[in-house]
Amino acid sequence: MHRKKLRDKKNVDRALYPLYQLGNPQLRIFRPKWSLTLVRPGKEQPPDTVQFRIPMVMTKCDLKGYLEKIYNVPVGTIRTRIQFGSNKKRNHLNQRVKQPDFKVAYVQLAQGHTFTFPDIFPEKDGTPAEGSMEEMQEKFIEDEKQRQKSDPRRGGVTEWFGL
Amino acid sequence: MAASSSAGRALTLCKQFQNVLRISTAVNAQHCAANVTRYQNHVYRGTSPLIAPSWCSSPLSSAGQCRALHTTVSVRGLEEFFDLPENWGESRVKSGAPWTAKHLRTKSNEDLHKLWYVLLKEKNMLLTLEQEARRQRVQMPSPERLRKVERSIIRLETVVTERETALRLLQTGQEKARPGDWRRNIFGHVFWYRFKEYACPWYMNKRYKRKRFYTPNFVQPHLRLRIEKYLRERAKKANLEKKTQAKLREKFPQMKISSS
Repeated sequence: MHRKKLRDKKNVDRALYPLYQLGNPQLRIFRPKWSLTLVRPGKEQPPDTVQFRIPMVMTKCDLKGYLEKIYNVPVGTIRTRIQFGSNKKRNHLNQRVKQPDFKVAYVQLAQGHTFTFPDIFPEKDGTPAEGSMEEMQEKFIEDEKQRQKSDPRRGGVTEWFGL
Repeated sequence: MAASSSAGRALTLCKQFQNVLRISTAVNAQHCAANVTRYQNHVYRGTSPLIAPSWCSSPLSSAGQCRALHTTVSVRGLEEFFDLPENWGESRVKSGAPWTAKHLRTKSNEDLHKLWYVLLKEKNMLLTLEQEARRQRVQMPSPERLRKVERSIIRLETVVTERETALRLLQTGQEKARPGDWRRNIFGHVFWYRFKEYACPWYMNKRYKRKRFYTPNFVQPHLRLRIEKYLRERAKKANLEKKTQAKLREKFPQMKISSS
C-alpha cells in the first residue's frame, strides 16, 4: 500500500519570485506558496520566543511580513539558522539516505506577548458516545475476544497438552 | 484575519454550499469578526451560516459559538496554527472533500484569493500537527486532510493561471508569462528552455556557462542511431499488431472490431 505522490506540483513550485537588488521597489507577493511549521522547541526558550520551521528560500523579512499580514501576529526580531539534515544513515543497499535540510526561525513577539506551546495530545477518555458506531464496534471486538478465550478452568494450560 | 479560520474552515471543509450568498455572508462575518477581534481578542467559531452536513466537521454545526482559547492578549494569531481545542487528542477528525478545479472555476477572483489563504493556514496547522505528533510519538489524526489541502491548493493555482493566461492572450497576445527559447542540450534533444533571472549577464556567469546548450561533435553520430532505433521499434510494434490481428481473424473469421 503506497502513497500516491503529488507529481502535479508544477505550477505552485515553479513560480519564481523576482530577484531583489538594492533600490528595487518593494516586492509584493500575492498568494505566497510557502508554508510554515510551528514546532515545540527542543531547548528551553524565553517565553516570548516562537520556533518555526520555514522553507529554505524564505528570509527574515519574508517571515516577518508573512506573520504580520496573514496571522496578524506582532513580530519583534527574528533569528534564523539552517539545520543540516543528516546524510549518515544508510538503507538496505548501503546507500546513504539524506534527511532534508530545513531552516529554523526563532521569532520573538513584540508588545510583550508570550507564547507557550500547548499540549495537543491530551489523554482523552476512551469511551465512545452512546449508540455510536465506535461503541458498537468495540462491543463486537470484545465479544469476539471473549469467544476466542480458552476455558478458564484449564488454568492457562494450552490445548497442546491432551486432556 | 484572526477570525477568518472559523468561516475559513467552513469554506475549506464544506465543499458543497447551495448559493453564493452564503460565501458573502461568511465573508461579512469574517470582516466583522476581524474588526471585533482587535478589541476583544476573542476568536468566534462557527459564525458562518453554512449548513454543516452530517459529514462536515462538528464544531461548525452550532452557529454563534464563541470560544476563546486564550483570553490574554498574548496568543492572538498563533492559535491558528492549532486545531480547535475540541479536536485535540481525538483519533479521527472529520473533514470534507477537497476542492475540484471545476468547482473552483465557478468562484470569483476575490473568493479564490481568500480561499488561498484559508487553505494555506489550514496546511500550516496540519503541518504543525504532524510535526508535534512525530515529536510525541503519536499518530496524527486524519493525515489525509493534508493531502486534500495540497490538492486543493494545486487546483486553485491551475485555475488562477488559466485565468491569467486568458487575460494575457487577450491583452498582449503572449502565450507564456515566462520568456523562454527552444534549445538543444548535450544529448541532442531539443527542449523548451525557460529563462531564469540572474543578477549578472550570462557571459559572467560561470555556472551557466558550464551548461552547454549545444551537442558536441562526438555525440552527432549517436543521434542518427537513436532515430534509427526509434523507427525500428515503431515498425516492430506496428508489425506485431498487424500479425496478431491477422491471426485472430484467421481463428475467428466473424470478428468485426479489433480487440484493443
